[in-house]
This record gives sequence, C-alpha cells and structure tokens, in this order.
Amino acid sequence: MSSFTATPPGALGRVLLIDDDPNIVASLGMYLRQDGYGVSEAGSGEEGLSSFAATPANVVLVDLLLPGADGLEVTRSLRSCSDVPVIVVSACAGTPDIIAGLEAGADDYVTKPVVPKELSARIRAHMRRAQLWPNEGATVIFGALEIRLGTGVARKDGEELALTRTEFRLLCELASRPGWVMSRPKLLERVWGYDYFGDTRLVDVHVGRLRSKIEADPARPALVVTVRGAGYKFERP
Amino acid sequence: MTWARRAELLLGRPARRPSEATSAGAARSDKPSQGPEAIPAHPARRRRFGITARVTAAFAAGAAALSGTLAASTFVLARHYLLDQRESAATVATYANAKIVERELANRGADLGQALSTLTMAQGTSAFLYLHGVWYSASVSVGPAGTSRPAALPSSLVGAVERGSSARQREMTGGQPAVAVGVPLPLGGADYFEVHSLSELSATLEVLASVVFGCAAATTLAGLLVGGWTSRRLVRPLRGIAEVASAISGGALDRRLPEGADPDLAVLSSSFNEMVGALEERIKRDARFVSNVSHELRSPLTTIRATVDVLERSAGPLKADALRAMGMLKVEVERFAAMVQDLLEMARFDAGAGALDLEELALDDLVANTVAAYLDGAVPVFVSPEGTGTWVMGDRQRLQRALVNLLDNARAYAGGAVGVYVDRCGSYAEVTVDDAGPGVQPGERGAIFERFYRGAAAGRRAASSGTGLGLALVDEHVRAHGGWVDVAERPGGGARFIIRLPLTTLGGN
Repeated sequence: MSSFTATPPGALGRVLLIDDDPNIVASLGMYLRQDGYGVSEAGSGEEGLSSFAATPANVVLVDLLLPGADGLEVTRSLRSCSDVPVIVVSACAGTPDIIAGLEAGADDYVTKPVVPKELSARIRAHMRRAQLWPNEGATVIFGALEIRLGTGVARKDGEELALTRTEFRLLCELASRPGWVMSRPKLLERVWGYDYFGDTRLVDVHVGRLRSKIEADPARPALVVTVRGAGYKFERP
Repeated sequence: MTWARRAELLLGRPARRPSEATSAGAARSDKPSQGPEAIPAHPARRRRFGITARVTAAFAAGAAALSGTLAASTFVLARHYLLDQRESAATVATYANAKIVERELANRGADLGQALSTLTMAQGTSAFLYLHGVWYSASVSVGPAGTSRPAALPSSLVGAVERGSSARQREMTGGQPAVAVGVPLPLGGADYFEVHSLSELSATLEVLASVVFGCAAATTLAGLLVGGWTSRRLVRPLRGIAEVASAISGGALDRRLPEGADPDLAVLSSSFNEMVGALEERIKRDARFVSNVSHELRSPLTTIRATVDVLERSAGPLKADALRAMGMLKVEVERFAAMVQDLLEMARFDAGAGALDLEELALDDLVANTVAAYLDGAVPVFVSPEGTGTWVMGDRQRLQRALVNLLDNARAYAGGAVGVYVDRCGSYAEVTVDDAGPGVQPGERGAIFERFYRGAAAGRRAASSGTGLGLALVDEHVRAHGGWVDVAERPGGGARFIIRLPLTTLGGN
C-alpha cells in the first residue's frame, strides 16, 4: 500500500478496528497500515468478535455506538477471554461515557475526532508494554497478595486474580515502592506510557477496578490508598 | 453561553459582565454571587416608598384616625357631662343657701354675720351678698368687702341678677376655672352669689384626657406594628418569587414555585412556572442541537483527518500548489476539529452537564505539570512563597483546559506566554499568564471573554488560529469553580490574564 515506509506491513503487530462508519474504518485503516500495523476491519460488534476469534489482534480499537452488540458489550466479551489492550474510540466525550467505557474493561479512551498520530502512539505504547515485563521472574509478596512480576500473574490467598495488563502494571508500579505517593500524571506516564497530556480519569477508574479485585473491602481500601490531592500509594498490609 | 447568561438575556435582565479592566492586584467588587437579589425596580415608574412602607403607613394612619376620633369624642362627651353635673350641683347648693340667707335676713333683720355663718359650703366655694349697695363676702370671714363688685363675680352675671333673675356663668378666677351662680333675694332685698371652684374637676379631666389620648397613641402604634407585620406577610410570597427567579437566572433552571399553597397566588405561580418551563425547554433544545451537531461532525472529521494524513504521507512529491493546498487543508481541518471540540464543551455547559468533578488539588503542582506537559516546559512557572502549597477544590481536567486555553491564546495572539505565576491573594489563589504581545485595549477587556468575539485583535491574528471560543471557555471553567478571570496590562507591555480561584479551607495533607 505505502511505498515509502520502512516498516513492512504488519510488522508492528495487528490492530482490530471496530467501527460502523466504513469511512472511518477505511481511513484509519490506511493510516495504521502506513505506520506498519496489520489491520483487521469490522463494521459491527459481532463481526469484530468473530474476527478476533479467528485472528487475534495485539490491540483492539472499538467504537461505543455500534449496531447490535455495542462497544461496551464488545469490550466485556473481549475481557472475558483475553487481556488484549482495548482502546475505546468514541464520539462521546462526557465523563459518564468515559467512565462506562473504562469500567467495562477498556484500557484507554480516546475521543473523536482522533488525531491519527496520537492514536498510533497510544497503540504503540500499549503494544510495547504488553511485551515488556520488568524484573522478569521476580516475585514479591505482601501478606496474602503475591505478585509475579515477570509473568503478569498475581495471586490473592493462592488464587490467581483476573487482572488485565493495565491493572497488573498499575499494581506493579504502586507495589514497587510501598509507602511512596505516586501522582496521577506519574502513573499515566509509567503505566500507560504517555509522555504527553493524558486524562487522569484513566488512573482513577483503573485504580477502582484494581481495588475491587485485590482489596478485602474495596469501599475501604487498605492496600491502594488515595492520598488526598496528591495521588495513590501502596501500603504494606 | 451558560444557562445563567442565556436566562438573563431571555428574561430581559442585563447579562452580568463583570470584567472591568483592573490592575493585577486590584480586587473586583462584583464577584459572582449566588445570593438572591432584589427585584429591580423600573427607574421611570419607581415609587418613593415600597409596598411594605405604604401598607404600614396606611395601617398606622387608619388606627390613628379611628382611635383619635374615639378618644376626642369620648373626652368631649365626658367633659360636657361632668361639667353639667358639677354646675347643677353648684346651682342646687346655691339655691339652698340662698333660701337660708333669705330666711335669716327676714327673721333677724340685718344680722348678716349670723345669716352667712349658718351656711354650709364646700371647700373652694365662696359666697357673696349684695345688700343695700354693700358687698359682703363669706369665703374666709364674714364682713363687708366694700362697695365695689368682687373680682370673682363677672359683671354680666351681677347685672342679670340685679334685674331680678337668677343666673349662672362659667369663668376663670385667679387662673382657676370656676362657676358663679347668682340668686336674687326679693324678701331680703339683697342678691346672693356663690363661686364654686372647678379646679378639682379640671384635674380629673386632665387625667381623663391623658388616659384617653394615651390609648389612642398606643392604638396607633399597634396599627403601625400590625401594618408592618401584615405587609411583610403580604410580600413574603413575592420575596419567594424573587428568590426563585433569581436562582433561575443564576442557572438553576429546574427551580419552580410551589403551586397550590395559596389560591390567590396560584395563577401567578402556575404562569410563572409555565414560563420557566418554556424557557428551560428552549435552552435545552438549543443546547441539544449544538451538542448533536458537534457530535455528528466528529465522525466525518475523524475520516478527514486520517485521510489528509494518509494523503500527505503517501502522495509522493507534489507540485508547489498542491503542497500549499495540502498544508492549508491540514491547518483548517485542525482548526475545525478544535472548534467542534470547543463547541461541544460549550454545549455541555449550556446543557447543565458541566458538573464539576471536584477533588482537592495542589494548584502549584497542577500548573507546573500542565505547563510542562503542554509546552514541554518552554515557559517558566514561578510560584511565590505564598503560592506554594496552594490548595483548591477543583476539577483537574477543566482547570487544565482553562490554563491550556490561556496558553493557546498567548500563542495565537502574542507569540506565546512569557511567564506563568502562581500566587495567593487573600482567600483566592491566582494563576497569572503573561505574554509580551500587543496587549488588550481597556475597552475590549470585558468583551474578549465573549464567544466568537472578534475585536481589533482580529486584524492581527494569524490567518487560522483559534476557534473564538477559547477565552469564553476559560471564563466558563473558572466561573464554574466560583472564581473569575481577568485581563490586565502586563508591566513592561503585553497582556496579563489572571485566574482567581477560591482557596479551599482545608489544608494540605
């Protein structure tokens, strides 16, 4: 397709693009192919899910308003069988929509009209961190909580927790420096890999989801504690 | 345009545009306030006194007139009756004494002493006898008082008695009221007079007068109080309406008057509520329209953006004209996208969906992080000692947007910001963005925060910068936080934009 990029098509990984607007699918697909991604296209939620089952992608881009199964349902279905990074690409920019998308299990949220370059950078960040695990092989234990850094597996009371990659990385970041306050921008930078202006609501929603999985009482968190006005910190149990 | 401002426009109230030019440190008196405001009176039809004063005055005047009339007539009747009684008594006593004197004179000839000393007279009464051209008086001791008429007896009375008829006359003797009664004594060949003092009665009447008119004054005062209370009761529903109207014009479009509480006010309440309902519906429809339009524009814009980027990267070497066209297209698409973004943000404000996502924020950190992230730290951030550790209750996203818009504005019109400052001034935190551009003319300082304002700066602006909504959004964001934004002249030239936010009362950690 493109004659000048040095990256061969598909070399960077595969992106699944789910949107009911064929022009958006086509134009973003072209752009991402030029960037070196392999792109699968789908015009509906069902089509997207079957495409993912046939050819797993490294990152999924999904619109919220879709005919049939909507973006939230697609995200939940993907979450139930995979920890693939999901980025919601939606025209709905209100906080309730963003939170609903993230609560459904999405790792990130961008609003239309997206800047293709920015979208590509986000995809790259998600793919990169999906491959890189820090301190491979090391295991840290905090009371009933056991984190195996290299594998992306965390256990509570010996039972494996169903954490997404984003949640796992968030836990690793916080647990790597117990007692230290991590600001939201810092967490955005270290967990999502955003060195630019990010949306700190991402952090809040993901902290909430992480708490619901690791805390004994998510309403009164003891491990991941909010530091008023500053950020979050991990407390040794 | 917020609901508040739009409601002001639709309700015919002047929009509160508080941005007079102020210097950097000057406090502005008309801070946005939420409190109820008085119903503005039309200057041309303005009366000197309000309803309350007039009703109170009417009650007081009515009470005064009624009680005054009652008091006066009571007093006059009582006085007349008492005087009558007293005069009749005096007359009866005088006749009785005159009979005795006449008999004594007839029996014993001229033994006057014996005749007068047998009389019984009340305190303050004096008797006079005129016999053969000589006056005898019996007030203290009996004896000839002389040939001239005693001062206590009026001449008209004496004249009437000399002509042979008894008479009575009220008079003043020695500054005291009195009644003089004269009786001719045909058998004794003399005239008999008595002067009865009325000073006791007059003292009684004085007491009566003070009691009666005191009661009238008390009634008037009571009328005043009842009038004041009644008038306040009467205007209380009006105050309620004023309070609700003021809340509505302040943006609380869901406020309504309670209906059915008072049948007299039901018509007013229901038509007021209908009016506000229609207003709310209209404002919401407008906001929905803008929101839908912006929303529908997002998808094609996404396609256009991606297509332009694809074209730019894949078209190979272009002719100069095509290259220029491509550049223009790219710039305009960006501007269009920014405008849609800003319009949607405005629409959210107007639809009342602009609720703040509040948290406690360290303002100095927020500003430093925002500038660092947005401008790569190209603009220095100065935090004064007072500004260090400044905490505000705020919505992080929206405060960041406000600051970024100011930085954008500086870039579009003044070649970029030259300094950002965080300071504290009284109970407000201040974030100042300075630029070294041409500055803002004093006459334009209020207007630049209007939506799509195009003033003198329009001539200077770059061909394709800004959406015309940036500063209006700053104003909306900051006002939603209970603060306000100002523009002033930067010492040394350029514009100085100052965001003031109320400090949180809580401290840090």
